[in-house]
Amino acid sequence: MALNIKVLGSGCANCARLEKHVKAAVEQLGVEATIVKTGDFDEYAKYNLLATPGLVVNDKLVAAGRVPAVSQIVTLLANELV
Amino acid sequence: MNIISLLIGLLQSGLGNLAAYLAAHVLLCLVPAFFIAGALTALVPKEAVTRYLGRAAPKFISYPASAIGGFVLAVCSCTIMPLFAGIYKKGAGLGPAITFLFVGPAINILALAYTGVAIGMDIAIARIVLSIAFGIGIGLIMALLFRKDDMAHDAAGPDAFAASASVPRASWLLLALLVFLLIAGTLQVGLFTDSYAQITLPIRGTDALQATLNRLVPFDAARGEEGVTVQGAVLIVLLAAIAGAAWRGLNRVDEGFNRWTTVALALAATTLLVAALRLTPAAGGLTVAFPGKFFAVGAAMAGIVVLARRGFEPEQVQEWLWETWRFVRQIFPLLIVGVFAVGVVRPLIRPEWIEAVAGSNTLVGNVAGVLFGVFMYFPTLVEVPIARLFLDLGMHRGPLLAYLMADPELSLQSILIIASVIGRRKAWTYVGWVALFSTLAGLLYGAWVDGVSAWLILGGTFAGLALLALALNRLAARAARSIIAPQVAVPETVPVETSEH
Repeated sequence: MALNIKVLGSGCANCARLEKHVKAAVEQLGVEATIVKTGDFDEYAKYNLLATPGLVVNDKLVAAGRVPAVSQIVTLLANELV
Repeated sequence: MNIISLLIGLLQSGLGNLAAYLAAHVLLCLVPAFFIAGALTALVPKEAVTRYLGRAAPKFISYPASAIGGFVLAVCSCTIMPLFAGIYKKGAGLGPAITFLFVGPAINILALAYTGVAIGMDIAIARIVLSIAFGIGIGLIMALLFRKDDMAHDAAGPDAFAASASVPRASWLLLALLVFLLIAGTLQVGLFTDSYAQITLPIRGTDALQATLNRLVPFDAARGEEGVTVQGAVLIVLLAAIAGAAWRGLNRVDEGFNRWTTVALALAATTLLVAALRLTPAAGGLTVAFPGKFFAVGAAMAGIVVLARRGFEPEQVQEWLWETWRFVRQIFPLLIVGVFAVGVVRPLIRPEWIEAVAGSNTLVGNVAGVLFGVFMYFPTLVEVPIARLFLDLGMHRGPLLAYLMADPELSLQSILIIASVIGRRKAWTYVGWVALFSTLAGLLYGAWVDGVSAWLILGGTFAGLALLALALNRLAARAARSIIAPQVAVPETVPVETSEH
Protein backbone atom coordinates (compact mmCIF):
# COMPACT_ATOMS: atom_id res chain seq x y z
CA MET A 1 0.00 0.00 0.00
CA ALA A 2 1.44 3.31 -1.00
CA LEU A 3 1.48 6.14 1.50
CA ASN A 4 -0.26 9.39 0.74
CA ILE A 5 1.67 12.18 2.45
CA LYS A 6 0.90 15.89 2.51
CA VAL A 7 3.14 18.60 3.88
CA LEU A 8 1.01 21.62 4.75
CA GLY A 9 2.77 24.95 4.68
CA SER A 10 4.38 27.22 2.18
CA GLY A 11 7.53 29.25 2.22
CA CYS A 12 8.58 29.16 5.84
CA ALA A 13 11.86 27.55 6.84
CA ASN A 14 10.23 24.89 9.02
CA CYS A 15 7.97 23.80 6.17
CA ALA A 16 10.96 23.18 3.93
CA ARG A 17 12.69 21.34 6.76
CA LEU A 18 9.66 19.11 7.34
CA GLU A 19 9.56 18.20 3.66
CA LYS A 20 13.24 17.28 3.80
CA HIS A 21 12.69 15.14 6.90
CA VAL A 22 9.71 13.38 5.28
CA LYS A 23 11.73 12.56 2.18
CA ALA A 24 14.54 11.19 4.33
CA ALA A 25 12.09 9.08 6.35
CA VAL A 26 10.43 7.66 3.24
CA GLU A 27 13.82 6.79 1.84
CA GLN A 28 14.85 5.03 5.08
CA LEU A 29 11.68 2.97 5.09
CA GLY A 30 12.00 2.22 1.42
CA VAL A 31 8.25 2.46 0.82
CA GLU A 32 6.29 3.93 -2.03
CA ALA A 33 4.80 7.30 -1.21
CA THR A 34 3.39 10.36 -2.88
CA ILE A 35 4.49 13.56 -1.20
CA VAL A 36 2.54 16.75 -1.88
CA LYS A 37 3.41 20.15 -0.45
CA THR A 38 0.66 22.74 -0.33
CA GLY A 39 0.07 26.18 1.12
CA ASP A 40 -3.67 26.23 0.51
CA PHE A 41 -5.65 27.69 3.44
CA ASP A 42 -8.67 25.51 2.61
CA GLU A 43 -6.47 22.44 3.08
CA TYR A 44 -5.35 23.81 6.46
CA ALA A 45 -8.97 24.21 7.47
CA LYS A 46 -9.84 20.73 6.20
CA TYR A 47 -7.36 19.16 8.61
CA ASN A 48 -7.95 21.67 11.43
CA LEU A 49 -4.36 22.86 11.16
CA LEU A 50 -3.61 25.98 13.19
CA ALA A 51 0.13 26.30 12.88
CA THR A 52 2.34 25.35 9.99
CA PRO A 53 4.02 23.09 9.19
CA GLY A 54 1.52 20.26 9.27
CA LEU A 55 2.09 16.63 8.33
CA VAL A 56 -0.82 14.65 6.91
CA VAL A 57 -0.48 10.92 6.34
CA ASN A 58 -3.31 9.07 4.57
CA ASP A 59 -5.68 11.97 5.24
CA LYS A 60 -4.88 12.17 8.95
CA LEU A 61 -3.09 15.11 10.58
CA VAL A 62 -0.26 13.55 12.58
CA ALA A 63 1.90 16.57 13.46
CA ALA A 64 1.19 20.29 13.57
CA GLY A 65 3.24 23.37 14.35
CA ARG A 66 6.45 21.45 14.81
CA VAL A 67 9.01 19.51 12.84
CA PRO A 68 9.35 15.93 14.14
CA ALA A 69 12.79 14.33 13.89
CA VAL A 70 13.34 11.93 10.99
CA SER A 71 13.23 8.96 13.39
CA GLN A 72 9.84 10.10 14.72
CA ILE A 73 8.47 10.42 11.19
CA VAL A 74 9.71 6.91 10.39
CA THR A 75 7.71 5.60 13.37
CA LEU A 76 4.64 7.58 12.31
CA LEU A 77 4.80 6.22 8.77
CA ALA A 78 5.48 2.67 9.94
CA ASN A 79 2.37 2.82 12.15
CA GLU A 80 0.31 3.76 9.10
CA LEU A 81 1.67 0.81 7.14
CA VAL A 82 0.72 -1.81 9.70
CA MET B 1 34.22 64.16 -9.85
CA ASN B 2 31.38 65.71 -7.91
CA ILE B 3 29.21 62.65 -8.41
CA ILE B 4 31.95 60.35 -7.18
CA SER B 5 32.45 62.30 -3.99
CA LEU B 6 28.69 62.37 -3.52
CA LEU B 7 28.53 58.59 -3.92
CA ILE B 8 31.38 58.10 -1.46
CA GLY B 9 29.57 60.36 0.96
CA LEU B 10 26.39 58.29 0.64
CA LEU B 11 28.29 55.04 1.09
CA GLN B 12 29.98 56.45 4.19
CA SER B 13 26.63 57.51 5.56
CA GLY B 14 25.18 54.04 4.94
CA LEU B 15 28.09 52.26 6.60
CA GLY B 16 28.06 54.75 9.45
CA ASN B 17 24.38 54.12 10.09
CA LEU B 18 24.97 50.38 9.98
CA ALA B 19 27.86 50.53 12.41
CA ALA B 20 26.02 52.85 14.76
CA TYR B 21 22.96 50.60 14.77
CA LEU B 22 24.89 47.39 15.26
CA ALA B 23 26.85 48.88 18.11
CA ALA B 24 24.25 50.97 19.84
CA HIS B 25 20.83 49.49 19.34
CA VAL B 26 21.10 45.90 18.43
CA LEU B 27 22.96 44.00 21.05
CA LEU B 28 21.40 44.38 24.44
CA CYS B 29 17.92 44.52 22.99
CA LEU B 30 17.78 42.36 19.89
CA VAL B 31 19.98 39.47 21.04
CA PRO B 32 17.79 38.67 24.08
CA ALA B 33 14.66 39.41 22.03
CA PHE B 34 15.63 36.81 19.45
CA PHE B 35 16.18 34.25 22.21
CA ILE B 36 12.77 35.12 23.67
CA ALA B 37 11.11 34.74 20.28
CA GLY B 38 12.79 31.35 19.86
CA ALA B 39 11.69 30.23 23.33
CA LEU B 40 8.09 31.33 22.72
CA THR B 41 7.99 29.32 19.52
CA ALA B 42 9.78 26.21 20.74
CA LEU B 43 8.96 25.90 24.43
CA VAL B 44 5.43 27.30 24.83
CA PRO B 45 2.78 24.89 23.51
CA LYS B 46 0.46 26.77 21.15
CA GLU B 47 -2.54 24.97 22.60
CA ALA B 48 -2.03 26.90 25.85
CA VAL B 49 -3.37 29.93 24.00
CA THR B 50 -5.44 28.51 21.17
CA ARG B 51 -7.81 26.79 23.58
CA TYR B 52 -9.21 30.25 24.36
CA LEU B 53 -9.87 30.93 20.69
CA GLY B 54 -12.38 28.21 19.94
CA ARG B 55 -15.96 28.69 18.90
CA ALA B 56 -17.29 27.90 22.37
CA ALA B 57 -15.22 30.63 24.05
CA PRO B 58 -17.32 33.59 25.21
CA LYS B 59 -16.56 36.98 23.65
CA PHE B 60 -15.03 38.50 26.76
CA ILE B 61 -12.43 35.73 26.70
CA SER B 62 -11.84 35.23 22.99
CA TYR B 63 -11.21 38.90 22.15
CA PRO B 64 -8.62 39.60 24.87
CA ALA B 65 -7.06 36.18 24.22
CA SER B 66 -6.72 37.03 20.52
CA ALA B 67 -5.14 40.35 21.37
CA ILE B 68 -2.68 39.02 23.91
CA GLY B 69 -2.17 35.69 22.17
CA GLY B 70 -0.34 37.57 19.45
CA PHE B 71 2.53 37.98 21.88
CA VAL B 72 3.07 34.24 22.03
CA LEU B 73 1.88 33.12 18.62
CA ALA B 74 2.63 35.88 16.18
CA VAL B 75 6.36 36.15 16.16
CA CYS B 76 6.47 35.75 12.40
CA SER B 77 3.94 36.15 9.64
CA CYS B 78 4.13 32.46 8.72
CA THR B 79 2.38 31.65 12.00
CA ILE B 80 -0.03 34.58 11.76
CA MET B 81 -1.77 33.66 8.52
CA PRO B 82 -2.61 29.98 9.21
CA LEU B 83 -3.87 30.87 12.69
CA PHE B 84 -5.84 33.80 11.34
CA ALA B 85 -7.49 31.50 8.80
CA GLY B 86 -8.05 28.89 11.52
CA ILE B 87 -9.67 31.29 13.98
CA TYR B 88 -11.87 32.66 11.22
CA LYS B 89 -12.96 29.39 9.65
CA LYS B 90 -12.98 27.00 12.58
CA GLY B 91 -12.62 29.00 15.76
CA ALA B 92 -14.02 32.01 17.52
CA GLY B 93 -14.97 33.67 14.23
CA LEU B 94 -14.23 36.77 12.19
CA GLY B 95 -14.00 39.28 15.06
CA PRO B 96 -11.32 37.58 17.17
CA ALA B 97 -9.49 36.57 13.97
CA ILE B 98 -9.31 40.22 12.93
CA THR B 99 -8.21 41.27 16.43
CA PHE B 100 -5.44 38.68 16.30
CA LEU B 101 -4.37 39.84 12.84
CA PHE B 102 -4.27 43.48 13.89
CA VAL B 103 -2.58 43.19 17.27
CA GLY B 104 -0.07 40.45 16.45
CA PRO B 105 2.51 42.45 14.51
CA ALA B 106 2.34 45.33 16.99
CA ILE B 107 3.11 43.36 20.12
CA ASN B 108 5.64 40.83 18.92
CA ILE B 109 8.63 40.86 21.20
CA LEU B 110 11.20 41.74 18.51
CA ALA B 111 9.34 44.79 17.24
CA LEU B 112 8.57 45.90 20.77
CA ALA B 113 12.11 45.65 22.12
CA TYR B 114 13.58 47.26 19.04
CA THR B 115 11.09 50.14 18.95
CA GLY B 116 11.61 50.77 22.65
CA VAL B 117 15.38 51.02 22.38
CA ALA B 118 15.76 52.72 19.00
CA ILE B 119 12.93 55.24 19.27
CA GLY B 120 11.66 55.38 22.82
CA MET B 121 9.77 53.39 25.40
CA ASP B 122 6.86 55.86 25.17
CA ILE B 123 6.17 54.94 21.54
CA ALA B 124 6.55 51.23 22.25
CA ILE B 125 4.01 51.40 25.08
CA ALA B 126 1.64 53.58 23.06
CA ARG B 127 1.88 51.02 20.28
CA ILE B 128 0.89 48.17 22.63
CA VAL B 129 -1.95 49.95 24.41
CA LEU B 130 -3.51 51.56 21.34
CA SER B 131 -3.17 48.47 19.16
CA ILE B 132 -4.84 46.26 21.77
CA ALA B 133 -7.69 48.74 22.27
CA PHE B 134 -8.18 49.38 18.57
CA GLY B 135 -7.58 45.75 17.59
CA ILE B 136 -10.47 44.67 19.78
CA GLY B 137 -12.49 47.61 18.43
CA ILE B 138 -11.91 46.68 14.80
CA GLY B 139 -12.60 43.02 15.55
CA LEU B 140 -15.96 43.89 17.15
CA ILE B 141 -16.88 46.18 14.27
CA MET B 142 -16.04 43.57 11.64
CA ALA B 143 -17.95 40.89 13.54
CA LEU B 144 -21.02 43.13 13.66
CA LEU B 145 -20.76 44.26 10.05
CA PHE B 146 -20.46 40.72 8.74
CA ARG B 147 -22.65 39.01 11.26
CA LYS B 148 -24.54 36.87 8.74
CA ASP B 149 -21.31 35.37 7.60
CA ASP B 150 -20.27 34.13 11.06
CA MET B 151 -23.63 32.48 11.54
CA ALA B 152 -22.97 30.38 8.45
CA HIS B 153 -19.56 29.41 9.83
CA ASP B 154 -20.97 28.36 13.15
CA ALA B 155 -22.76 25.52 11.46
CA ALA B 156 -19.62 24.03 9.91
CA GLY B 157 -17.04 21.47 10.98
CA PRO B 158 -15.56 20.22 14.27
CA ASP B 159 -13.80 22.52 16.69
CA ALA B 160 -10.10 22.68 15.89
CA PHE B 161 -9.40 24.48 19.13
CA ALA B 162 -10.47 21.81 21.59
CA ALA B 163 -6.94 20.68 22.46
CA SER B 164 -5.48 22.33 25.53
CA ALA B 165 -2.09 22.39 27.18
CA SER B 166 -0.41 24.32 29.92
CA VAL B 167 2.93 26.06 29.85
CA PRO B 168 5.56 24.05 31.79
CA ARG B 169 7.06 25.77 34.80
CA ALA B 170 10.57 25.63 33.38
CA SER B 171 9.38 27.55 30.31
CA TRP B 172 7.88 30.27 32.51
CA LEU B 173 11.13 30.56 34.43
CA LEU B 174 13.24 30.70 31.31
CA LEU B 175 11.04 33.39 29.78
CA ALA B 176 11.17 35.39 33.01
CA LEU B 177 14.97 35.23 33.05
CA LEU B 178 15.19 36.22 29.39
CA VAL B 179 12.85 39.15 29.90
CA PHE B 180 14.92 40.21 32.90
CA LEU B 181 18.03 40.02 30.70
CA LEU B 182 16.35 42.24 28.13
CA ILE B 183 15.16 44.76 30.70
CA ALA B 184 18.42 44.87 32.65
CA GLY B 185 20.36 45.58 29.47
CA THR B 186 18.11 48.28 28.09
CA LEU B 187 16.23 50.04 30.87
CA GLN B 188 17.74 53.43 31.62
CA VAL B 189 17.46 53.58 35.39
CA GLY B 190 20.15 54.42 37.92
CA LEU B 191 20.30 50.92 39.38
CA PHE B 192 21.47 49.54 36.03
CA THR B 193 23.37 52.50 34.60
CA ASP B 194 25.32 53.68 37.67
CA SER B 195 28.89 52.47 37.73
CA TYR B 196 29.98 50.39 40.72
CA ALA B 197 33.64 49.71 39.89
CA GLN B 198 36.23 51.06 37.53
CA ILE B 199 39.63 49.94 36.30
CA THR B 200 42.06 51.32 33.75
CA LEU B 201 43.58 48.80 31.40
CA PRO B 202 47.09 49.66 30.14
CA ILE B 203 46.10 49.43 26.49
CA ARG B 204 47.66 52.30 24.57
CA GLY B 205 46.42 53.85 21.39
CA THR B 206 42.68 53.55 21.99
CA ASP B 207 42.29 57.31 21.84
CA ALA B 208 44.01 57.31 18.47
CA LEU B 209 41.69 54.51 17.36
CA GLN B 210 38.69 56.63 18.39
CA ALA B 211 40.03 59.54 16.35
CA THR B 212 40.43 57.24 13.34
CA LEU B 213 36.90 55.90 13.77
CA ASN B 214 35.54 59.45 13.88
CA ARG B 215 37.34 60.20 10.65
CA LEU B 216 36.12 57.03 8.94
CA VAL B 217 32.53 57.50 10.06
CA PRO B 218 32.02 61.23 10.29
CA PHE B 219 28.81 62.10 12.08
CA ASP B 220 26.62 65.07 12.69
CA ALA B 221 24.69 64.77 15.93
CA ALA B 222 22.28 67.50 14.79
CA ARG B 223 21.06 65.22 12.01
CA GLY B 224 20.65 62.29 14.36
CA GLU B 225 23.82 60.56 13.25
CA GLU B 226 25.70 58.71 15.94
CA GLY B 227 29.17 57.68 14.92
CA VAL B 228 31.04 54.66 16.21
CA THR B 229 32.89 54.35 19.52
CA VAL B 230 35.84 52.08 20.30
CA GLN B 231 33.43 49.90 22.26
CA GLY B 232 31.15 49.81 19.24
CA ALA B 233 34.02 48.67 17.05
CA VAL B 234 34.87 45.85 19.49
CA LEU B 235 31.23 44.76 19.50
CA ILE B 236 31.01 44.75 15.72
CA VAL B 237 34.07 42.48 15.56
CA LEU B 238 32.47 40.18 18.14
CA LEU B 239 29.20 40.14 16.18
CA ALA B 240 31.03 39.09 13.03
CA ALA B 241 32.70 36.31 15.03
CA ILE B 242 29.30 35.16 16.35
CA ALA B 243 27.92 35.09 12.83
CA GLY B 244 30.77 32.85 11.69
CA ALA B 245 30.54 30.49 14.66
CA ALA B 246 26.73 30.38 14.61
CA TRP B 247 26.73 29.43 10.95
CA ARG B 248 28.62 26.27 11.83
CA GLY B 249 27.16 25.74 15.28
CA LEU B 250 23.48 26.61 14.98
CA ASN B 251 22.52 25.87 11.38
CA ARG B 252 22.21 22.18 12.19
CA VAL B 253 21.57 22.42 15.90
CA ASP B 254 18.25 20.62 15.43
CA GLU B 255 20.28 17.49 14.73
CA GLY B 256 22.59 17.86 17.71
CA PHE B 257 25.08 20.13 19.45
CA ASN B 258 28.63 20.46 18.22
CA ARG B 259 31.72 22.32 19.33
CA TRP B 260 30.78 25.40 17.32
CA THR B 261 27.45 25.62 19.15
CA THR B 262 29.33 26.15 22.40
CA VAL B 263 31.68 28.64 20.75
CA ALA B 264 28.79 30.63 19.28
CA LEU B 265 26.90 30.75 22.57
CA ALA B 266 30.01 31.68 24.56
CA LEU B 267 30.73 34.47 22.07
CA ALA B 268 27.17 35.72 22.33
CA ALA B 269 27.43 35.82 26.13
CA THR B 270 30.79 37.64 25.94
CA THR B 271 29.31 40.16 23.54
CA LEU B 272 26.42 40.94 25.85
CA LEU B 273 28.81 41.39 28.77
CA VAL B 274 31.10 43.70 26.78
CA ALA B 275 28.08 45.65 25.59
CA ALA B 276 27.04 46.16 29.22
CA LEU B 277 30.43 47.68 30.12
CA ARG B 278 31.35 51.30 29.56
CA LEU B 279 34.68 51.73 27.77
CA THR B 280 36.27 55.17 27.62
CA PRO B 281 39.47 55.60 25.65
CA ALA B 282 42.03 57.93 27.22
CA ALA B 283 45.65 58.81 26.50
CA GLY B 284 47.01 56.60 29.28
CA GLY B 285 44.90 53.53 28.62
CA LEU B 286 41.39 52.21 28.36
CA THR B 287 39.06 53.01 31.26
CA VAL B 288 36.56 50.26 31.93
CA ALA B 289 33.55 51.02 34.11
CA PHE B 290 31.25 48.31 35.47
CA PRO B 291 27.65 49.58 35.61
CA GLY B 292 24.88 47.72 37.42
CA LYS B 293 23.61 46.21 34.21
CA PHE B 294 26.90 44.35 33.75
CA PHE B 295 26.24 42.35 36.92
CA ALA B 296 22.53 41.96 36.20
CA VAL B 297 23.18 40.71 32.65
CA GLY B 298 25.85 38.31 33.93
CA ALA B 299 23.59 36.91 36.65
CA ALA B 300 20.67 36.49 34.25
CA MET B 301 22.81 34.63 31.74
CA ALA B 302 24.26 32.34 34.42
CA GLY B 303 20.72 31.54 35.53
CA ILE B 304 19.67 30.81 31.97
CA VAL B 305 22.57 28.40 31.42
CA VAL B 306 21.83 26.49 34.64
CA LEU B 307 18.12 26.33 33.87
CA ALA B 308 18.66 25.19 30.27
CA ARG B 309 20.84 22.32 31.50
CA ARG B 310 18.75 21.21 34.47
CA GLY B 311 15.18 22.09 33.53
CA PHE B 312 14.96 20.95 29.90
CA GLU B 313 15.64 17.92 27.76
CA PRO B 314 18.57 18.44 25.37
CA GLU B 315 16.14 18.16 22.44
CA GLN B 316 14.10 21.07 23.79
CA VAL B 317 17.17 23.25 24.10
CA GLN B 318 18.16 22.27 20.56
CA GLU B 319 14.72 23.22 19.32
CA TRP B 320 14.91 26.55 21.17
CA LEU B 321 18.31 27.40 19.72
CA TRP B 322 17.21 26.32 16.27
CA GLU B 323 14.11 28.53 16.33
CA THR B 324 16.18 31.44 17.66
CA TRP B 325 18.74 31.05 14.91
CA ARG B 326 15.97 30.68 12.33
CA PHE B 327 14.56 34.08 13.33
CA VAL B 328 18.01 35.62 13.21
CA ARG B 329 18.68 34.17 9.78
CA GLN B 330 15.30 35.22 8.47
CA ILE B 331 15.20 38.75 9.85
CA PHE B 332 18.73 39.95 10.46
CA PRO B 333 20.17 40.05 6.89
CA LEU B 334 17.19 42.10 5.68
CA LEU B 335 17.53 44.37 8.70
CA ILE B 336 21.18 45.02 7.90
CA VAL B 337 20.32 45.86 4.28
CA GLY B 338 17.49 48.09 5.49
CA VAL B 339 19.62 49.97 8.00
CA PHE B 340 22.33 50.49 5.39
CA ALA B 341 19.77 51.78 2.89
CA VAL B 342 18.32 54.15 5.47
CA GLY B 343 21.83 55.53 6.04
CA VAL B 344 22.34 56.05 2.31
CA VAL B 345 19.01 57.80 1.91
CA ARG B 346 19.43 59.99 5.00
CA PRO B 347 21.57 62.75 3.44
CA LEU B 348 19.24 62.93 0.42
CA ILE B 349 16.10 63.81 2.36
CA ARG B 350 15.71 67.43 3.34
CA PRO B 351 14.31 67.87 6.87
CA GLU B 352 12.10 70.67 5.50
CA TRP B 353 10.14 68.14 3.42
CA ILE B 354 9.35 65.95 6.39
CA GLU B 355 8.56 68.94 8.57
CA ALA B 356 6.25 70.41 5.95
CA VAL B 357 4.18 67.22 5.72
CA ALA B 358 4.31 65.75 9.20
CA GLY B 359 6.18 68.19 11.40
CA SER B 360 3.18 68.73 13.61
CA ASN B 361 0.27 66.61 14.78
CA THR B 362 -2.22 67.35 11.99
CA LEU B 363 -4.74 65.19 10.19
CA VAL B 364 -2.74 65.52 6.97
CA GLY B 365 0.44 64.49 8.74
CA ASN B 366 -1.15 61.38 10.27
CA VAL B 367 -2.81 60.37 7.02
CA ALA B 368 0.52 60.78 5.24
CA GLY B 369 2.14 58.51 7.82
CA VAL B 370 -0.51 55.84 7.33
CA LEU B 371 -0.41 56.01 3.53
CA PHE B 372 3.36 55.72 3.52
CA GLY B 373 3.02 52.66 5.73
CA VAL B 374 0.47 51.01 3.45
CA PHE B 375 2.16 51.60 0.13
CA MET B 376 5.74 50.94 1.16
CA TYR B 377 6.60 47.38 1.99
CA PHE B 378 9.47 46.87 4.41
CA PRO B 379 10.68 43.57 5.86
CA THR B 380 10.03 42.86 9.56
CA LEU B 381 11.77 45.35 11.89
CA VAL B 382 13.07 47.59 9.09
CA GLU B 383 10.17 49.93 9.81
CA VAL B 384 11.95 50.86 13.03
CA PRO B 385 15.15 52.43 11.60
CA ILE B 386 12.97 54.13 9.00
CA ALA B 387 10.78 55.60 11.71
CA ARG B 388 13.93 56.68 13.53
CA LEU B 389 15.09 58.45 10.36
CA PHE B 390 11.80 60.32 10.12
CA LEU B 391 11.99 61.26 13.78
CA ASP B 392 15.52 62.62 13.38
CA LEU B 393 14.43 64.63 10.38
CA GLY B 394 11.68 66.35 12.31
CA MET B 395 8.58 64.17 12.12
CA HIS B 396 6.15 64.66 15.00
CA ARG B 397 5.73 61.63 17.26
CA GLY B 398 1.99 61.45 16.49
CA PRO B 399 2.28 60.81 12.75
CA LEU B 400 5.28 58.63 13.56
CA LEU B 401 3.07 56.32 15.63
CA ALA B 402 0.44 56.36 12.87
CA TYR B 403 3.11 55.15 10.46
CA LEU B 404 4.40 52.51 12.89
CA MET B 405 0.88 51.17 13.45
CA ALA B 406 0.00 50.99 9.75
CA ASP B 407 3.24 49.70 8.28
CA PRO B 408 3.42 46.16 9.71
CA GLU B 409 -0.36 45.75 9.50
CA LEU B 410 -0.90 46.61 5.91
CA SER B 411 1.01 46.09 2.76
CA LEU B 412 -0.40 45.30 -0.65
CA GLN B 413 0.97 41.78 -0.33
CA SER B 414 -0.67 41.09 3.03
CA ILE B 415 -3.97 42.58 1.84
CA LEU B 416 -4.02 40.06 -1.00
CA ILE B 417 -3.38 37.12 1.36
CA ILE B 418 -6.06 38.36 3.77
CA ALA B 419 -8.48 38.67 0.84
CA SER B 420 -7.78 35.07 -0.16
CA VAL B 421 -8.90 33.95 3.30
CA ILE B 422 -11.89 36.16 4.08
CA GLY B 423 -12.87 37.49 0.66
CA ARG B 424 -12.23 40.80 -1.02
CA ARG B 425 -15.11 42.79 0.42
CA LYS B 426 -14.23 42.01 4.01
CA ALA B 427 -10.53 42.50 3.37
CA TRP B 428 -10.97 46.02 2.02
CA THR B 429 -13.41 46.91 4.77
CA TYR B 430 -10.73 45.81 7.22
CA VAL B 431 -8.12 47.91 5.44
CA GLY B 432 -10.39 50.93 5.68
CA TRP B 433 -10.87 50.50 9.42
CA VAL B 434 -7.16 49.94 10.00
CA ALA B 435 -6.31 53.11 8.09
CA LEU B 436 -8.90 55.05 10.05
CA PHE B 437 -7.85 53.72 13.43
CA SER B 438 -4.12 54.12 12.75
CA THR B 439 -4.72 57.75 11.86
CA LEU B 440 -6.77 58.15 15.00
CA ALA B 441 -4.06 56.48 17.09
CA GLY B 442 -1.47 58.92 15.72
CA LEU B 443 -3.70 61.93 16.38
CA LEU B 444 -4.45 60.83 19.95
CA TYR B 445 -0.88 59.98 20.81
CA GLY B 446 0.31 63.20 19.17
CA ALA B 447 -2.15 65.15 21.29
CA TRP B 448 -0.73 63.48 24.39
CA VAL B 449 2.80 64.40 23.32
CA ASP B 450 1.62 67.96 22.83
CA GLY B 451 0.37 68.07 26.41
CA VAL B 452 -3.29 67.07 26.39
CA SER B 453 -4.21 65.09 29.51
CA ALA B 454 -3.92 61.33 29.12
CA TRP B 455 -7.18 60.77 31.02
CA LEU B 456 -9.05 63.02 28.63
CA ILE B 457 -7.66 61.10 25.66
CA LEU B 458 -8.30 57.65 27.12
CA GLY B 459 -11.78 58.67 28.26
CA GLY B 460 -12.57 60.11 24.83
CA THR B 461 -11.23 56.98 23.11
CA PHE B 462 -13.34 54.62 25.16
CA ALA B 463 -16.42 56.82 24.90
CA GLY B 464 -15.96 56.95 21.12
CA LEU B 465 -15.48 53.19 20.86
CA ALA B 466 -18.51 52.55 23.05
CA LEU B 467 -20.67 54.89 20.94
CA LEU B 468 -19.47 53.17 17.77
CA ALA B 469 -20.21 49.73 19.19
CA LEU B 470 -23.64 50.87 20.27
CA ALA B 471 -24.48 52.34 16.87
CA LEU B 472 -23.26 49.22 15.09
CA ASN B 473 -25.20 47.04 17.48
CA ARG B 474 -28.37 48.93 16.57
CA LEU B 475 -27.64 48.51 12.87
CA ALA B 476 -26.90 44.82 13.30
CA ALA B 477 -30.07 44.30 15.30
CA ARG B 478 -32.07 45.91 12.53
CA ALA B 479 -30.28 43.78 9.94
CA ALA B 480 -30.88 40.65 12.03
CA ARG B 481 -34.62 41.35 12.08
CA SER B 482 -34.66 41.52 8.30
CA ILE B 483 -32.73 38.24 8.13
CA ILE B 484 -35.11 36.50 10.49
CA ALA B 485 -38.09 37.47 8.38
CA PRO B 486 -37.27 35.18 5.43
CA GLN B 487 -36.21 32.44 7.86
CA VAL B 488 -39.79 32.27 9.07
CA ALA B 489 -40.57 30.90 5.63
CA VAL B 490 -38.21 27.97 6.15
CA PRO B 491 -40.77 25.45 7.47
CA GLU B 492 -42.77 25.87 4.27
CA THR B 493 -39.88 24.53 2.23
CA VAL B 494 -39.34 21.51 4.45
CA PRO B 495 -42.37 19.54 3.22
CA VAL B 496 -41.21 20.18 -0.33
CA GLU B 497 -37.92 18.48 0.45
CA THR B 498 -39.55 15.48 2.10
CA SER B 499 -42.03 15.05 -0.72
CA GLU B 500 -39.14 14.44 -3.08
CA HIS B 501 -38.40 11.09 -1.45
